[in-house]
This record gives sequence, structure tokens and C-alpha cells, in this order.
Amino acid sequence: MLRTPNPSRPKSIDELLDSRLISQISHLDVSSRKIFAGKLKGERRSKKRGESVEFADHRPYAIGDDLRHIDWNIYARLDHLFMKLFLEEEDLSLHIIIDCSESSDCGDPGKFLFMQRLAMALGYIGLVNLNRVAVTALGGELATDEPREKPAGTGSVFAQFPVGGESQGEGSASSSSASGGTGVPPVSLHAIRDLRGRRRTQDLARFICALRPGGSTDFTEAAKRIALTRRGKGVMIVLSDFFMKEGYETGLRLLVGRGYDLFAMQILAPQEVEPDIAGDLRLRDVEDADQAEVTITAPLLKRYKQTLAAYCGELREFCARREITNLSVRTDTPMETLILDYLRQRGLLR
Amino acid sequence: MTWATPLIAGVAAAVAVPLLILLYFLKLRRREVEVSTTLLWKKAIQDLQANAPFQKLRRNILLLLQLLMLAAVLFAIAQPEQSTTAGIGQRNIILIDRSASMGATDIESDGSRTRLAEAKLQALDLIDAMREPGLLDRGEDAADQAMVIAFDTTAEVVAQLTSDKNLLRRAVESIQVTDAPSRVKEAFRLSQAQRPQRFVENEGLDRGPPFAFHLYSDGRLPDADEAIPAADDRVLFHVIGQQTAANIGITALRAERAYDNPAKLSIFVGVQSTDTIRRTVDCELALDGRTVAVREVSIPAALAPPAGDDSDGSRTPGSGGIVFELDMPDGAIARVRLDAGSDNDPRADVLEVDDQGWLVVPPARQTSVAVVTDGNLFLADALAGMPLARLDIFTPTEFVAARASGRADIYDVVVLDAWLPDAEAPASLPPGRWLVLGAVPTGPDALVDLGGAGPAQIIVWSRSHPAMRDLTLDALTIIESHSVELPEGSGAITLAETQLGPAIVELPAADSRAIVVPFDVMSTNWPFQASFVLFLAQAIDYLDRDAADAAAASGAGRLFRPGDVLTERVPPGAQDVRVVPPSPQPEQDLVPSRDGRVAFGPIRGVGVYRLRWTGAAGATDQRDGDRVTRHFAANLTDADESDVAAAPQITLGTQTAQAEQFGADEAVQRFWPYLLMLALGVLMVEWWIYNRKVAV
Repeated sequence: MLRTPNPSRPKSIDELLDSRLISQISHLDVSSRKIFAGKLKGERRSKKRGESVEFADHRPYAIGDDLRHIDWNIYARLDHLFMKLFLEEEDLSLHIIIDCSESSDCGDPGKFLFMQRLAMALGYIGLVNLNRVAVTALGGELATDEPREKPAGTGSVFAQFPVGGESQGEGSASSSSASGGTGVPPVSLHAIRDLRGRRRTQDLARFICALRPGGSTDFTEAAKRIALTRRGKGVMIVLSDFFMKEGYETGLRLLVGRGYDLFAMQILAPQEVEPDIAGDLRLRDVEDADQAEVTITAPLLKRYKQTLAAYCGELREFCARREITNLSVRTDTPMETLILDYLRQRGLLR
Repeated sequence: MTWATPLIAGVAAAVAVPLLILLYFLKLRRREVEVSTTLLWKKAIQDLQANAPFQKLRRNILLLLQLLMLAAVLFAIAQPEQSTTAGIGQRNIILIDRSASMGATDIESDGSRTRLAEAKLQALDLIDAMREPGLLDRGEDAADQAMVIAFDTTAEVVAQLTSDKNLLRRAVESIQVTDAPSRVKEAFRLSQAQRPQRFVENEGLDRGPPFAFHLYSDGRLPDADEAIPAADDRVLFHVIGQQTAANIGITALRAERAYDNPAKLSIFVGVQSTDTIRRTVDCELALDGRTVAVREVSIPAALAPPAGDDSDGSRTPGSGGIVFELDMPDGAIARVRLDAGSDNDPRADVLEVDDQGWLVVPPARQTSVAVVTDGNLFLADALAGMPLARLDIFTPTEFVAARASGRADIYDVVVLDAWLPDAEAPASLPPGRWLVLGAVPTGPDALVDLGGAGPAQIIVWSRSHPAMRDLTLDALTIIESHSVELPEGSGAITLAETQLGPAIVELPAADSRAIVVPFDVMSTNWPFQASFVLFLAQAIDYLDRDAADAAAASGAGRLFRPGDVLTERVPPGAQDVRVVPPSPQPEQDLVPSRDGRVAFGPIRGVGVYRLRWTGAAGATDQRDGDRVTRHFAANLTDADESDVAAAPQITLGTQTAQAEQFGADEAVQRFWPYLLMLALGVLMVEWWIYNRKVAV
């Protein structure tokens, strides 16, 4: 609810993930309700039959088929040519979207730190499972002035890409800013993409650590841009409080298309669920400085909770209708519990 | 409904109400809190407002309640009060009649309460009903003020003008009924004297706000028309007592000894009744405590005023009298008592104080006269017929010898016939009482002798002088008159004059008194006239009275009325002078002035007063060892006072005050405690509502 006083900004992966958690989540993998075809052949079985060691089926030979896949044993036995079909293992794209608007920097424990840690944990899981991991920050900014250890050979991963540029290959990060239209605040997106493999963990951590919340987001515009620029298929996780005055519906609708398995994780601070304020107050929105004069009374608090419940219910219903998995998480939930129990139960991890 | 301190409340309201509203607006300056989003709050507020149409009113209900509470407090500060009593002014003069008639017991049928008690109760109610000073405003004009004056014959300020109700209550309660008649004039004058006189520039004398006189009396005020309140003063006559009250009282009491036989004593008792029927009462006479006679006296009924009489409409009391005749040469204290049957019916005689009277009867006293003559037969013969205790004839030589031996001191009056004793200069006569015939005492305080003159005729004489009363001197012819002149500045009084000058002169001096007839009586035709004997008798009587305290001789000088000041001269050298009033009044020591005069009073009650001292005794005093006692009697004997019927109105000098039956004055009702209670209640309701809004 209230802006987090003196928010702690993690500087390294150690502050985002402790070793115990790393050891606990190392065996987890990102799960998808669909098995998606990837660009690279990964560790993941795809429904698309292809070249892999795992047998899937046979089919009769057709002219033009790759002779390498004829099952000669069957031919010897049946005198018919059958093609061996293998489950193709492909890589999964794991796209984590962090809402870096000013409103994330609220609550105690802070929502933003929670999102950072959750994104790091999920990203780490994706990396160790050789998934293609991308992280996009909506709004906010990148702290470039902080002294940072340069990764060997790559230089600054955040500065080297031109604004608005598409990814130029594996392990790219980009920042882009564009006006989504008249009267709409400029959409600022920071992204790191195409990370794969355990060795990119530090890059991911650096990116996440460099994020600073600020400003407001135009979720719809940002979602449109993300939807346009993303490639492949996979799992997309949106970390946000979904308190968007312009509405989250259009944005989610845009994101849910194109074969992505979408997870909308609503991160709420405990103070947002149960406000601990009292008296005659002028509430100021940290994002747009909008003001609401309230006198905190018992009926008003009751009403607020009802409104919040209704809001979350609407979101849940909206998501359910579009096969979006909606998760509502309080920031005082322990990360272990969240990842090891909650997300596994909800099918994001396995 | 009046407001005790409206100005202060107004000021407080002018300050407090805008302050409250200002505070209310200030209260709306809210604390600013940053939240992640206002989205949900706005929705919640909208929902709440949509759900509660009285939300706005509810937010303001606190302000309304606070305003209501403030209004209650402000009204309390203004101190509204309601008094049902009419006539309370800012400055009240409470005049309470404490005269004898206020002791009448016609308020209750069983006679248990006197009029004064009723008057005090009503006055206390009035004091209760007065405006009190406000809690905040203690100024001079903030409260009603009152002064308490008790009056009978004299008036006394019991409490000065003050707003201190306790003081006023104590003052009223301290008033006791006296046995004196009522005179209201002095009370009014006293109240006017208390009026603050302030000189205001360009306006003249400011007499302050007008007075409201509250006169608690039965209206028996004979001098009411002499009382002059100021034109703007209001006089409220709170009549105490019944107009039909019946009373029988002694209105006159006198003792007289027969001229020819002083041993014969007559006691006259005048009785008055205000009852509407003829009454017969017993009159009892007691001498020195022994009842000697009881007589029945019948008194006619009081007469209703004739129709068309526009006076106060009171009845004319019926009156009667009775005479006790006794043969009593000795002095005594006589007590007369009426038995009007008030033991059986208290309403038959409501006033007790006038039912008895006392008289100090001096012993029968006769004069001793010495005649110093060389042989005047007329003189001796004329005096021989008089009722004298003693009559001795001396020649001048014998008289000088008698004086030298002190034997002459027993004579009250000495008649000098053409002879004068030697006197020490500058006195013309030695101390004593002298009737000088045919001789002229000369000196600065006596006469200037101009020698013999021709025949003369008395042309004018004093008819009012006791020695000359009833004389007819027209026929007196003086063959050979003696011309005298009164020296300038002399205190001599001419009693009769011829055409040539003074013919009979009284010479008062410090220690002597003389009546001088300068001409030779033998050279006139006076001895052959009745007026000569009469003159001798009256002159001797006059000189004798003067010698032995004329008033005391008849007892008249020993009679007082309550309200009078008892003044008496005790013999020189008297010590340890005390006055013993009738119980329950306490004894009192008196200090005589240099000429032996003592004063006590004013006398409050009826009865016998005794003046006691150690030293020389007067002629009529009782001696008891070395203590000397002189008796005085105080009686009411006032027809106005005994007429106890309450007057329906009083006519004052400037206005007429109708009797007002106010009844029991209701105490002033003050509302500020209720207003404060209301404020407290509103405060609690406001607190409850506020808490209901805040509490979960």
C-alpha cells in the first residue's frame, strides 16, 4: 500500500537467490500445458515429431522422406517401409514480464523486490533447464551508473544494444522507448532476451538487479509491443499488481495470443490486502499523483476489502476465460513456499 | 425570560462559532499518504457513497452536533433565567415594618405565626428571586442589588445595598419585632440617603437607576403621606395581615391624683376594639404585682366606613374607657391588663403587646411652704386654704436663722413678702424656689429696679404659663406700681405687663427659680380678688413642680413609648448606673454625662424599665441599701398601632401604592445547568457517532 521506505535494491544474485533456495529449485523445470515447438532443439519433447532419441511412432514411408529415418528392422520383418518418428525435443521460451511501475515500489515487504526475486528464481529455473529465457521490464529504468562487474567478453550487456533494436541473437538485452499514441505516456521497455544455459545466470541477475521502478506504464501499449516482438512459443509470466487504471484486459488479451502459455501473477503487498491506515487522509497515487480524499472508517475499510476482492475476482475470471493462469501472491509469502509448493500446485513448475 | 450575561455570551459566540467552523475546515486538511494506487479507494468511496445516500449528511452531522453543543454552551454562558415575580428592580429597597402591629398573629388561624415572620418569608423569597451576578460578569450592574431597612418609630439600615444574597438573608432574618409604633418616613429618607449621588459632567447629578421599594407592612403607617420616594421609584406594597383582623388594645393610660386630695389616685384606661362586634373584656389592675381590681369594659363594634368614602376604606375602631379610683398615697407600679379571651380564640385579639400597660405612680406629694413676712395677713390666710403639707410663717430674722441652721431646707417654696435674703454675687437670689412679692431682686440675671411709679393697670398677661393659667387680671388696679426693666440678655420671662412695663416676671437661674411680683400687693385691690388666691396656688404649684421634677410628680415624665429614647438626669455623683429593661432584654451599663444625664434607647419593648445607681436618691426614688432605683414605664398606647386591620393601600407623598398580594414569590429559574447538561449529552452522542464511524 504505502511506498516502501528505503527500499533495498539487490546488487547481486546472492541477494536475489540464496544458495539454499538455488539448491532447492535446481531440480525444478518450467512446465507448460502445451509442449511447444522451439527453434532450437532443446531438452523438451515436442508434439512435433522430429529428430530426437525418443521414439514416438511409425508411419508409412512416403516418397521424399529422409531415408535415414526408415526403420530397417520393420522393413526386414514386414517388407514394408516405415518411417520412424521421434519426439523432437525443443527449447521452451520463458518470458518473464516485470511491472516496474512506481506502484511496484510499495508495500512491506516490497512488491518490487519480491518480483525481482521471483523473476530471478523463475529465470534461473529456466536457464538451468536450457529454456530460452527473456525478461522484460515494463516502465522503470535501468541503473547504469552502478559499478558492475563486466562479464568477460561481452561488455555491458545493457548498453550495447540500440534502443528499440530487435535482438541480434542469443543473449541480447535491449531497451526501447516509444510513444504508444497521443496522450499516452511513453512506453519504456527494458528487456534481456535469448538467455540460455546456466552460464547466463549472472547476466540475468545483473539485468534484474539493474532494474529500478519508476513512472507509470501503459500496459496495453507495452503488451502490444511485447506481443509483436516476441518469437517462438513458450511460457509467459506477467508479474504485476494489475492495478492499472486503463485496465489490464486489452494487454492480457494481446499477450495471450500466439501460443504462449500465459501466467498472470498478481503480486500484492499485505498492506494492500489489509490497509493499516487511519484518519482523515488524502491518498496520493504514486504513479499519476491522482488524489483521493478519504476518511478511514470501518465501513470504508470493509468496502475497500470488498472492492479489492471483487477486483481480484474479476481478474481471475477474465484469466480463466482466456486460459490464463492467474495467481495471486502476497509479498509476505516465503519464496520457498511460493516456488516449491504454490507454483508447483498451480502447474507453472514441476 | 431574561439573560444575565447576554453580552459575554455574544462575544463568546462571535469568537467560538467561526472558530469551530474554521477548525472544521482545518480538520479537512488531510494527511497526505502515498499509496500504490487510488483505484480501489475511489471505487470503495463511490460504492460507499452510492450505498449511503446520507453519507454527506453523516459526515456533517458531527459539525451539526458540535454546533448544537456549542450553542448550548453559549446559551448557558448567557445565563437565561425566568422569574415569575413581578417588580424586582435592579436596586431594591426592602422595607420591613417591625413595629408592634407586625407582632399580630393573624397569618395562621392558630396564631402560630406573626406578621413579621410572614414579611420576612416574603422578603426572603424576593431575595431568592433576585438576579445573581453571572459566572463571568461581576460588574456592578450584573446583579440585582437590595438594601434592607427595618423600621418602627425609627429606621435602621440592616443591610447596605448589596447583591450578596447571604448577607441579605441574614439581615432579614435578624429583624425582630419591637413594641414601637410604625413611622415610615424615616425609612424612606434613609433609603434616599443611601442612593449613590454621582455627578456626571454635562448631565448634572446622576441618582443612579430608580429604586424599587418593597414595603412589607400591614399599612398602619400614620406618616405615610410624608414619605416621598423619587418620581421614578416604584413602591410595591406587600400587604401583610388581614383586613378583618380583630384586636383589642389599650390606647390610653394615665394616672392622676386629685388636686385637693393627692392621696386619691385615678387611673384612666382607654380601650379600643377593631372587632366587628361589640366586645366585653376584663380589665385588671395590679399594683406592685398585686391585683387590686378587675373591671368589665364593653367596647362598641368598629364602624364600617360610610358608603362613598374613597379613603382607604378601613373601619373606624370602637373605643371605650374605664377609670380605676383608688385611695393610695404611696407610690406604686400599676399594671393594667386586658383579658380579651385570646387564650380561647387567637383571632379575637391578634396583638398581644397592647393588652397591657404600666404606670409609675409617684407617691402623693404635697408642698411645704415657708412664708417670710413681717405680718401680711392676706398672704397667710390665702395660703392657709391650700392643700399644703406644711405652712410656716417666719419673720426675716427667724428665716435667716433657720437657713443658717439648715432647717429651711425642707421647704419646697419660700414666699418672700417685701424682703430679700442675701445672696452670693452675682446671683440675685440664693438657691431655691422663691415667690417674691413687693421686692425686686436686682442683678445682671435679675431685674433693673427703676423705683416706684404711678397707678397702673395690667393690660396683658400670659395665659399659657402654668402660674398664670385661668387668671383674670382685668380688674386688678395697682395704686402704686413699681417700675422694673429686664436687663438685656436676661433670661427673665414677663408674665404680665402694665402700661408701664413688666408687672409679673419669672426669673430662671442656674440653681434658683423665682416668680417676682415687684409691686406691693397691699397697695392693690388684688387680695380681694379670687385671682390672687389662684395665682398664689398656681405659682407655688408651678415652682414646686419645677423643683421636684414636675413631670415626675404626676408620673407623666416616667412614661415612654417604645421607640422613644429614655433620657433622665441622675443626681450628681451617681455611680454604677445601670438600666434594667424588662426581660428578655439584657441589662446595660450607662455612663452619665457631666450634668448627670443618661440616655438609653431607643426603647424596643413595653414594660417597666428600672434605672439603678449608687449614690444620692431623688424624691420619688426607691432606695434599697445603697442602690437607688427609678422606674419608668413604656407602653404602646397608640390607637393607630392597635388598629391592626391591614390597609388595602398606602398613600405616600407622591404616589399611592395598592396592596399587592404577591403570594409566595417563586424563585428565579435558571436554565444554565440544563443547557450544560444538554451540551454534555450532545457531546456524548457526537463521540458515539464519531466512534461508530471509526471503529471496525
